[in-house]
Amino acid sequence: MFIAVITMTDGDYDYLIKLLALGDSGVGKTTFLYRYTDNKFNPKFITTVGIDFREKRVVYTASNPNGMTTGKTFKVHLQLWDTAGQERFRSLTTAFFRDAMGFLLMFDLTSQQSFLNVRNWMSQLQANAYCENPDIVLVGNKADLADQREVQEKQAKELADKYGIPYFETSAATGAEVDKAVITLLDLVMKRMEQCVDKPPAEPANGNGATKLGEAQPNEKKCAC
Amino acid sequence: MPEAADMINLGFLSDSEREMILEVLRRDEGLRQAEEQRVRKLKTELLDVKRKGAKRGSGRYSQQCCGRCLEPLSRLTIFSSQCKMCNHHVCRNCRTVFPNGSWLCSVCDKESDLKKMTGDWFYDQRVNRFSTTPGYDLVSVSLKKRPPLKKRQTAGEVLLKSNETKADSQTPVPRPRLKNPAEKNSHSSEISGSLASRESFDSKEDVCSRPVHSDTESAENGSIGSNKTQTESQHVSPEQPRRKAGSAESSPSGSSVSSLTVPVKAEIVVTDSDNPETKDTKEVKPVNPSPELDIDRIFKKSVRRAQRPPEYISTMDLRDGHEKPEASMGYRSRSVPGLDVQEDEEEEEDIDSLVSFHKRSMASSSSSLHTSKSTLGSLRSIYSEAGDYDSVDVSGDLVFSTSYDEPTHSLRVLIKECHGLAYADASRQLSNPYVKCYLLPDKSRQSKRKTSIKRNTINPVYNETLKYSVSRSQLYTRSVLISVWHHGRLSRNTFLGEVEIALDCRDLDSPYEERVALMAKTASSVPASVFAQYKGELVISLKYVTPKKPITEKFKGKKTAAEEGGQLHVLVKEARSLTAMKTGGTSDSFVKGYLFPTKAKTSKRKTPVVKKNLNPHYDHTFVYKDVALEQLKAMCLELTVWDREALLSNEFLGGVRLSSGKGTVKIAKEEVEMDSVGEEVSLWEKMMLYPDSWAEGTLPLRSTMGKTEGK
Repeated sequence: MFIAVITMTDGDYDYLIKLLALGDSGVGKTTFLYRYTDNKFNPKFITTVGIDFREKRVVYTASNPNGMTTGKTFKVHLQLWDTAGQERFRSLTTAFFRDAMGFLLMFDLTSQQSFLNVRNWMSQLQANAYCENPDIVLVGNKADLADQREVQEKQAKELADKYGIPYFETSAATGAEVDKAVITLLDLVMKRMEQCVDKPPAEPANGNGATKLGEAQPNEKKCAC
Repeated sequence: MPEAADMINLGFLSDSEREMILEVLRRDEGLRQAEEQRVRKLKTELLDVKRKGAKRGSGRYSQQCCGRCLEPLSRLTIFSSQCKMCNHHVCRNCRTVFPNGSWLCSVCDKESDLKKMTGDWFYDQRVNRFSTTPGYDLVSVSLKKRPPLKKRQTAGEVLLKSNETKADSQTPVPRPRLKNPAEKNSHSSEISGSLASRESFDSKEDVCSRPVHSDTESAENGSIGSNKTQTESQHVSPEQPRRKAGSAESSPSGSSVSSLTVPVKAEIVVTDSDNPETKDTKEVKPVNPSPELDIDRIFKKSVRRAQRPPEYISTMDLRDGHEKPEASMGYRSRSVPGLDVQEDEEEEEDIDSLVSFHKRSMASSSSSLHTSKSTLGSLRSIYSEAGDYDSVDVSGDLVFSTSYDEPTHSLRVLIKECHGLAYADASRQLSNPYVKCYLLPDKSRQSKRKTSIKRNTINPVYNETLKYSVSRSQLYTRSVLISVWHHGRLSRNTFLGEVEIALDCRDLDSPYEERVALMAKTASSVPASVFAQYKGELVISLKYVTPKKPITEKFKGKKTAAEEGGQLHVLVKEARSLTAMKTGGTSDSFVKGYLFPTKAKTSKRKTPVVKKNLNPHYDHTFVYKDVALEQLKAMCLELTVWDREALLSNEFLGGVRLSSGKGTVKIAKEEVEMDSVGEEVSLWEKMMLYPDSWAEGTLPLRSTMGKTEGK
C-alpha cells in the first residue's frame, strides 16, 4: 500500500506547476484536460462538480532568454485544475484561481456567447489570481466542428492580441494543438519564474536578450517580487 | 484571500456533490504532502551548501579571500569577483556561470534555484498581492479573528480542513470521517488508484496525530524510551514547581526517585544482565547497593531541592567547569528566555525562566540541547556530555543498519557489532564497550538509547535494535549519532569513538548493513553556524508607523515629532516546519519578542499559544510605542519560538534576530553583537526605508540565539 503512495505522489520531480482551466460551461475544459493527460476523448458531457484536477509529468527543456536551449532538462509535475463552468459554482471555483500559476482560458468555437464571456473571465482572473497579470493562454476549443463554427479565428486572435496572450484553436476530439497550448503556457510560467528569481543575471551586459524576451511577451510586466 | 474565508461554506451543495469535492481535495492533499516533503528536503540541501560557505551577511572580513571557500583571491581578480546578489567576493570555483556569461556565487545560485523549485517565487508574489488588499491593513486586535493567512496555503487546503471538521462536529448523523462514502464514489477506475493512495495517507496521518500511536507502541514493546520518559515527566512535573526548598526527603520524592530510574532500563531493548544498572533498577528497590547509583540519587535530590536559584547554579558550576569555550553563551542567552528583571512580575513565567536558564546553561556547557529533564537522568551521561570522560585514540569500526518500520512508525537502528575497538585501559588491555545512540538534533535523554555492555572485549557483538518512534517525514532533517563507550565500573567512562549518520540520504526501506570506521569527537561539536540546523521558518511583517501629525512634511517632521509617537508594529504571522517536541509529532508553540535595548519593562511581548501544530498561525501583532525611526537603526528585535510545556520549562524551537547587522546592543548589561544576517538585515532595513508600509519576510529560524562562532 505504501509503495503505491510512493509511485503516485512521490516527490521525484523538480517543479510542481499548477495550471487551471476556466471558461463557460460546456466549452470542453474537462475533455481538453483528459485529452492532454490521457490522450483520450470522452464525447459524453458530464458537468464538472465544482473542481477537479488531473496530473501529468512532463520533461521541460530550459531555454535561455535568447531562445536557445541550454540542454538542461527538468522533470515537471503538472497539476491541472479543472473548474466547473456553471454559475452556481462560481464562488468556489474563483477561490481556486489564486492557487494557480498559469491559466487556460477556454471558449467554444461553436458558441459565440462563450467567446463573449471571455472578457468576464479575464476580469475574474485579474481580481482573483496571484497577481494582476498572470500567464494566460486563450484556447478556442472544438475546432473539429468546422460546420458549426460561430467564432472566427481573426476575431479571437484580435482579442488575444489585445490582452497580449497567445491563442490556440484546439480540438479535444482530435487532439489538435492541445499539447501545444499547454506547453506554451508551461513555458510562459517557467519564464516568469526565471524572471522573478534571476534579477541580477537578467540585467547584465547583453541587452539583446532582454529585448527578445520583451517581444515574446508583449505585455511583459514588472515582476512584483 | 478574502475568498478563502467566504467560500468555506459549501452549504449550497448537495451531499453527493460535497463528497465529490472533498474527494478531489483529499487527492490534492496527497500531492501537497509529497510536495511539502520535497520542499523540506530541498531546504535542508541549501543549508548544506550554506554551511560550507564561510561568509554570510554583515561582511566584516578581509576582501582578499573568497567569501565561500576562503581561498585567497589574487589581487587582479578582485574587481570582477563580486557576486551580484550577495556582494561577496568569490573565487572562480565558487561561481555558477550562466549561458549569457553572467554569474552568481554558488550559494546565491542555489538560493534562487530553491526559490524556483519550491514555488516560493509564486507564493511570495501571491502573499504580496493579497496582503495589500484594503482591510488587511487594519492590523492589531482585529487580526486575531481573521482567518489565518499562510503563504503556501491553498484554497483546497482551507476548504478541506474546514469541511472535515464541520462534518465531524456538525452533521447530526455521525459519519465515519467522510472517508468511506467517498470511496464508494470512485466511479472510474483510474481514480480509485489515487484513492487508495489518499486513503493510506489519511490513515498515516491519523496515526501520527494521535497519542494512540504510542499506545500501540507500548503494547508491542514496553521498553521504548520516549514512552517512558513521557510517563516519567508526567509523574515528576506536577510536584516540581510546587515543591518548596528542603522538602526533598518527604516520601513522595522517594518513590519518584525509584520510578525515575526505570527509564534507564527502558532504553535498552535487549537487556543484558551484566549491566549492574539495569539489574538493579529492574527490581525498583528504594535502597540501591550500587555506589554509582547512590551518587546518582544524591545528585538528583540536590537538583530537585534546588528550586532556589543559587543552589541551582551551584549544581551547574559542577559542569561549567568542565568546558570553557561556550560558557558565555549561557549568560548571553539569558536575554532570550528572558531571565531579565522584567520577568519578575510574572510568577508563572518565573519558574519557567528559572528552569530555562538552568537548561540553557546546561546546554551551553554540553553544547547540546539538553532538556531540564536530563538532570534527572543518568549522572554518567550528563558528565559524558559535559566532557567528563576519558578518551583514547579511536580505532575500529561499527557494523549497523537503519530501517524504518512503517506499521509502528519507528526508526530502527540495529547495532550489530564492533571490530577492533581501542582499549580503554591500555595497560590492562581492557574494554567493556556499549553503544549509545541519539537521534539528533535531540540530545536529551528522550533521544538516548543504549545497548547492553559487553565485558572485556574489543570485538563486541550486540545485535540489538534501538527504536525511535518518529514519523517518517521528520527523518529527512535528522541524523543518528552513534557512539561507543567503555563502561568504567568504578571509574569514569571512556569514549571509544562515534559516527554520525545523516538520514536524509539513506534508503530506509531496504535495510543494508554498513561498516563504518569510528571517529574521534569532532572538535567543533558546536554547529559552525546558528543556521546549521534547519529549524523551520518564521513569517513576519514589520511596519514603522510614523506619528500622525506631519503627514505632508514627513521628511522634516520625523526628527522632531517622531521622537515621541512613532510605533514599530511586528506582525507575527506564522511559523513553518517547526521541530516537534511532543509525542505525536506536534508542538504547542508561541512567539516571544524583545526589542533591545529595552527602555522599560514593556519590551517583552508574547503571542497566544497555538496548540498541536508544526505550522502554527499566530497572526498576532506586537506594538512597540514611542520609538523613533532613528533609534531603530541601533536597535535589535529578537523573536523566539517556544514550545509551551505546562509546568515544565518551555522548549526553545528557534529564533530570529532582526537588526541592521552592525554594531552592538546592550542586553542585560552586556554588549552583544548584532549578528543579524541575510534577510534578517534586509527586512529590518526595508522596514526603516518604507515607513507606514508592511515589509514582509520569511526568515529561517536560528537553532540557537547564542553568538555565532568563528567570526
